[in-house]
Amino acid sequence: MTDRDLSRPDPDALLAEANKVGRGRLKVYLGMAPGVGKTSEMLTAAARRASEGAEVVVGLVETHGRSETAALLQGLDVLPRRVIEHRGRQLMEFDLDAALARRPQLLLVDEYAHSNAPGSRHPKRWQDVDELLSAGIDVWTTLNVQHLESLVDVVHRITGVLQRETVPDTALSSADEIELIDITPQELRDRLAQGKVYVPETASLAADRFFRAENLTALRELALRRAAETVDDQLVGVMRRQGLTGPWAAGERILVLIGADAMASSLVRNGRRISDMIGDAPWTVAHVERPSHPVLAPLAIDRRAEALRLAEQLGAATTILSGDDLVETVLDFARRQNVTQIVMGRPRPRALAARLRPSLPQALMEGSSGAALHVITDHGLAAADAPTRARLVLRRGWGGVGTAVLAVGAANGVASVVDQFSRGANLAMIFLVSVLVTGLGFGLWPALLAAALAAVTFNFFFLEPRLSMAIGNPADLFTFAVFFGVAVVTGGLAGRVRDQAAAAARRASAVTSLLVASRSLSAVANRQDAARTLAEQTAAAASGATVVLLPADGEVAVAAGAPSAPELDATAMTAARWAWERGEAAGAGTGTLPQIDWTFFPLQGLRARAGVAGVEAGRIQRGSEEERLLLALLGQGAVALERAELAAGAVEHETLRRSDQLRAALLNSISHDLRTPLSTVLGAATTLIDYGGSLARAVHDDLLLSIREEAERLNRYVGNLLDMTRLEGGGLKTRGEWTDVRDVIAGAIDRVARRAPDRRFTRDFPAELSAIMADPTLLEQAIVNILENAVAYSPAGEPIDVAAYEDRSNIVISIEDEGRGIPTAELERIFDKFRRLDAASDRGQGVGLGLSISKGFVEAMGGRIAAASPIHGDALTGFRGTRILISLPKQRATHPMLL
Amino acid sequence: MTASRPRILVIDDEPQIHRFLTPALDAAGYEPVRADTGAAGLSEIAKQPPDAVILDLGLPDMDGQDVLRSARAFYDGPLIILSARDRELEKIKALDNGADDYVEKPFGVGELLARLRVALRNRMVRDVGEPSVSAGDVEIDLVKRVVRKAGAPVRLSPREYDLLATLVEGRGRVITHRQLLTAVWGPANADDVQYLRVFMGHLRQKLEDDPASPRWLMTEPGVGYRFVGDV
Repeated sequence: MTDRDLSRPDPDALLAEANKVGRGRLKVYLGMAPGVGKTSEMLTAAARRASEGAEVVVGLVETHGRSETAALLQGLDVLPRRVIEHRGRQLMEFDLDAALARRPQLLLVDEYAHSNAPGSRHPKRWQDVDELLSAGIDVWTTLNVQHLESLVDVVHRITGVLQRETVPDTALSSADEIELIDITPQELRDRLAQGKVYVPETASLAADRFFRAENLTALRELALRRAAETVDDQLVGVMRRQGLTGPWAAGERILVLIGADAMASSLVRNGRRISDMIGDAPWTVAHVERPSHPVLAPLAIDRRAEALRLAEQLGAATTILSGDDLVETVLDFARRQNVTQIVMGRPRPRALAARLRPSLPQALMEGSSGAALHVITDHGLAAADAPTRARLVLRRGWGGVGTAVLAVGAANGVASVVDQFSRGANLAMIFLVSVLVTGLGFGLWPALLAAALAAVTFNFFFLEPRLSMAIGNPADLFTFAVFFGVAVVTGGLAGRVRDQAAAAARRASAVTSLLVASRSLSAVANRQDAARTLAEQTAAAASGATVVLLPADGEVAVAAGAPSAPELDATAMTAARWAWERGEAAGAGTGTLPQIDWTFFPLQGLRARAGVAGVEAGRIQRGSEEERLLLALLGQGAVALERAELAAGAVEHETLRRSDQLRAALLNSISHDLRTPLSTVLGAATTLIDYGGSLARAVHDDLLLSIREEAERLNRYVGNLLDMTRLEGGGLKTRGEWTDVRDVIAGAIDRVARRAPDRRFTRDFPAELSAIMADPTLLEQAIVNILENAVAYSPAGEPIDVAAYEDRSNIVISIEDEGRGIPTAELERIFDKFRRLDAASDRGQGVGLGLSISKGFVEAMGGRIAAASPIHGDALTGFRGTRILISLPKQRATHPMLL
Repeated sequence: MTASRPRILVIDDEPQIHRFLTPALDAAGYEPVRADTGAAGLSEIAKQPPDAVILDLGLPDMDGQDVLRSARAFYDGPLIILSARDRELEKIKALDNGADDYVEKPFGVGELLARLRVALRNRMVRDVGEPSVSAGDVEIDLVKRVVRKAGAPVRLSPREYDLLATLVEGRGRVITHRQLLTAVWGPANADDVQYLRVFMGHLRQKLEDDPASPRWLMTEPGVGYRFVGDV
């Protein structure tokens, strides 16, 4: 291991351990064959645990009608089974949900490798067990070694029995404990003879073959070895966690090269065994795609996908490499990954010409430095490829066959015409053209067909002896050979060019869809948009319905769908939730709830899971090019969702920050504006107390006056704050009475003039003015606030002009000052709370509440308030003045004649 | 005290403050000088350095902290901060910037004048370079580095002595945590207020009659400590 400092605990190992915390413990009773006594051993141990006080529940145990086993079940709590209807038959299955609801300390589930009845949540029981473990329940189970995925080939070779029920090796190696139930083969055969081993009646012949002594010995060895390996693994795990150096595969790394043929899966299993042999070395399964070669047939793609999936189940990393030079691509990858062992299949026998070049194993051997090469022979498996190829030709050929017939027919026509006019012309050339055309248009096989047809018809109609198949001149044979030669060359070439073009077109379209998707995804503003765009883009790529689910309140809920947001039934929602919680694909084509009509993929963002996307089942072949495009799209979508979420968070954060700022400014302002008058009151009072006797009479009186003024000022601030609180709290009640606005204005001017005796106020009222329904107290306060503002912001000598007039439906009050005016940009905001033109003025214009209170009061009475500035001056003399207009609605519009 | 009355410059933009402070200072035997802006205050200090400055932190033309920093560049006399900002950080910043003391608005005139007296007296003591300071029955000789309580020598660790000496040298003034830590432990420890608590506890145990309610070594909560000597 070159990249790790072994003296420190390995983070991966610690992480694996951390993941186990809170997870239930798995114990597997491992045996070499049925009948060794796994179940009874498990039940005996469980009874012991139960007697010690542990809560033990039997989830499912097959007694196979044997009384000994049934006796062991006595006294143990057995969970009722679930009944599943399947094609009219009732199947008794393990009830996973009941077990999860029950949550015992220890649950017994027999037969780890069992396949569940169709319609269950998981297809396999080991997946049920995994869910139980995740829920924190300890599980004991039983397993025969022949059911291990990586041993299927070996067991098949040993016993001739092909196991259908398998568990992935990871399901065994993740066990916390393995107990090997070992008896000698002879003992087992004795038990079989005594009828102590359950064998289905129908299979007794096969069982006899299976239970042969030599088979059992081989299986026993497998079981012993596997148990030993697991013990090794656990030891290594312990040592890595504690940072001890140990005997595990130092720097070993295995690369398994697979093709898209029947041998692929077998190679993967071989890789796993080699990895096991050299101490659980990391291994990678790779397939090399050659862009210049024809795209793989669907069947081949399936095979490749299946092999890669198997590899992942067996714990390998998988990758698809791309490169025209097979040898160079593999060697490059091997060098980068420090591969020490390469596993590959023996190449098929090749054409003579190809044999002149070195075979792949030879080339790899020459090129690789230091890597060991394992070449695995097939067992006649490659033969299964033959029918595939034939079908391929036919499917592509129908158009070609037609063209071949037509082209050769046309050649016959042309040749007969030419033959009329110039006997002895080289008619063979015309037939050659028909072969060429077919070859260029439809590839090799149609071209060969055309060549054959051309040879036959040319010979029959145009070569002496005519209308006979006999060949008059041996040189004609050469002509026919040329036909076939041309067919092979042009057909082969054209076929390859066409396949390349198709592949290139497909890649281009994939890249284009990704580009389009990334463009539209990068433009989204929020999560909802991102979800909708993602649903649309994936629907286009999958050419089927899609749905995107986003988290909401700890759950996932449908956020968008294409062509429309679908209704998901309970099972589909369960699958979606599964994908969301586990981060694994669920639904059709996966190991979880495969019976539903959707496949759900988790949307894994850079930081967290962003949601779940569902694709209508059957649209996407797993492992296909389309799936890869889809996954790339989903990746982009997840990142876009995440980005939208972050952006939303940033906006929220900014809003919060601003309101914090506002609150701080408010507190500062209130504390200053309340304390300044208090300071004067307290300061003047204490001066009077301490030095009252020694002060001049005038000073004495002035101090008393200042106390009164400042107390009034304080009262106004408090009044303002209370008004504002009432406005904001909705506690403001307006009291309507018939009001003459002129009286109210006069009252307001009086109040303000008392505090600003030097200030001149001009009044401009009409002799007649309609009365309105209004609250005179509120209106007076609103006007006072505006007047005070005008006093504070205009030079002392300038008058403040107050006017009132009416139009048809409103009374308008106008208050103008000659101050420096308000910048246009500020105009809209002068009625905002805590808005002051001079940020840090301490001169006591109030907390910046006055105008906003005016606005609140006027609006509470159904009126409107607006400001205009500047109202006088020009660019030369400078702009001046502010005008504030209050407009209050009349009860009834006045007739124009009366105005 | 000289024949002329001590000149006290009041820098505050609030006319109401001058309105009572001017007669109060006058009645207490000082000569009040009024400045309404930071700039006017600074130019007054430069023209004719007053005996003490009372400075409001909230000024219309410039920040009070800036006035303080500028003034301290050429003015060494007592400087008392007047502020409605009751936030600790402002106070600490002002003291760190060289203010002698602070008074929060609203305030009684009596309190302000008492602080003013302490500040003026300490300045005078420092100018004379008085080597020995007493507080009740505690006597501190800064030259001989000897501390006595009720006539008996008190054993202080070097750190404890340095801390006490720093407080005594700035007697009457609030010395901020940062100033104390920097002076005694060095700039690297300027934030370790916990040290101070422990050492102040030791000093009080050794010097105060009742360490639980100290009379000489006073705490300014959240800001620092102050040594109060005999008036």
